[in-house]
Amino acid sequence: MDKLFRYVRGPVILVILIVIARFIFPNKMTFFFEISVYAIYVMANDILYGYMGMVSFGQPFYLGVGAYTAALYLAYVGHSPLVAIGLAILMGIVTGALLGPALIRLRGDYYALINAATCAMGLFLVETVMLPITRGDDGLWYRSRMHETPLLDLTHPNDVFWFTMIILAIILILYTWLDRSTMGASLRAIKINERKMKFLGYDTFKIRWIGYTMMCILAALAGSLYAINYGFVNPSLSEPGRAAEVLVATLLGGAGSVYGPFFGTAVFLGAKDLVSTFITRWELAVGILTIFVCFKFSGGVWGTIQALGAKIKVKREKVPTDR
Amino acid sequence: MAEKTNEKILSVKDLNVSYKTLHVLFDVYLEVEPGEAVVVVGRNGAGKTTMFRTIAGFLNQDRGSIIFKGEDIGNLPAYEVAIRGLKYIQQDKHVFADLTVRENLELGSYATKDYDWDPVFDHFPPLKTIMDRKGGNLSGGERQMLLMAQSLLGRPELVLMDEPTEGLAPHVINDLKDIFKRISKETTLAIIEQNLPLTAEVADRVYAMKEGKIIAEIADNQDIKELKFEAYL
Repeated sequence: MDKLFRYVRGPVILVILIVIARFIFPNKMTFFFEISVYAIYVMANDILYGYMGMVSFGQPFYLGVGAYTAALYLAYVGHSPLVAIGLAILMGIVTGALLGPALIRLRGDYYALINAATCAMGLFLVETVMLPITRGDDGLWYRSRMHETPLLDLTHPNDVFWFTMIILAIILILYTWLDRSTMGASLRAIKINERKMKFLGYDTFKIRWIGYTMMCILAALAGSLYAINYGFVNPSLSEPGRAAEVLVATLLGGAGSVYGPFFGTAVFLGAKDLVSTFITRWELAVGILTIFVCFKFSGGVWGTIQALGAKIKVKREKVPTDR
Repeated sequence: MAEKTNEKILSVKDLNVSYKTLHVLFDVYLEVEPGEAVVVVGRNGAGKTTMFRTIAGFLNQDRGSIIFKGEDIGNLPAYEVAIRGLKYIQQDKHVFADLTVRENLELGSYATKDYDWDPVFDHFPPLKTIMDRKGGNLSGGERQMLLMAQSLLGRPELVLMDEPTEGLAPHVINDLKDIFKRISKETTLAIIEQNLPLTAEVADRVYAMKEGKIIAEIADNQDIKELKFEAYL
């Protein structure tokens, strides 16, 4: 019970803070929704990069898989947003199961680049090959086809926000469990010394495949939440050029930690939101911020908060001595 | 306790290994009986590590056979070899630096489904006091202890150790010597070692390697004690 409380405590506090912020700034609800969903997307990347040490330049592809699965279902097949989300998660599993064995054989630069190539092919698919059903750059609209859902009506942005809060809390709890479990340690151990893992008796290929599939599921879930909230998707979501954004957010927050993805997302989207009100090219300011964080705070925002917390704890625990 | 019998736990015959076009092991043989401590000696570049890494499933052999407990493991991947009870401790003393001692041990346990750490703590009591310390903050001796502890989880029948005392302080080596003696009562050991006095104290059988070949096998206890194998180095 105590263990369960330790897993649940942090995620619930974080979600409560977002909810409080949403009430303090009522006209910023979409912004808080964006942070929450993008944080799930960054968590997906963090499993790959932070835990397994695999850099991917193709993450928008996996986001697009979820978004387009949900969108195509809602535009042509069914009407339930919940089923759309379920199908997107299923498609994440299928993508991980099918592409994983091929892609995770590669390492380092090759892995990063083959993901970029996959992303480019995915974009070509939705922009050109599937044009009759995705409507290419014009995007796909389906809000009017979405039916109300019980308890929380996912056709209504306010309810989508609450639904996203629940999803974020669940994902953060699972992420905390992963971080503290042997599975999480296995993922990190592969990053540190894969050969040694083999000598301990681990089939490291399977572990990387599981990690890759988890990434696909989370990214697809994030994509489907975007699709549900906006009732619209277009190929810009899957542009390879946007791959750097998720990497920057991962680095800003602190790779390989439970709350790093959330804080990285908050800083990244916060800076983007703030700077873009003054200058058009917000990328310049965010780029400088990223360089600064990388040089001065290698653990990212969350790593720095943790280090400060540890310092304060040590100071408090120091027993005063007589002179 | 591992009992000495005449049945071989490991039998390597005519092992030939190449790194691309460079032939490095030539018809190597090695036999290990249950309960004994076998030490392989030889100069740098003699092929000792290549032999161990091939046995452990990390390198492919060109030809030959590696029979472990009656099964040919020559073509198995490293993790399958480990699951079958043959563990290999690398020379580099790399533990998982970002993980705590506890997490390092958990990884050893999870792979083997052996969660009983008491026997391991009996051999390495200092580990108990540093469970929350990160692997990267351990001393050389502590790292070696952790590596051995990890490998002993699951009660492997054979542990291959590649130069376990390399780079360690003399008093740590002394401690390890006692640990080797204790461990060898429970599991069979095959060790690559450059420290000849230690070899003389620990070994039941010594193989000397030179230029990719086994050039001598010394099984006589007295000869080992008198460091007769030194002549082959």
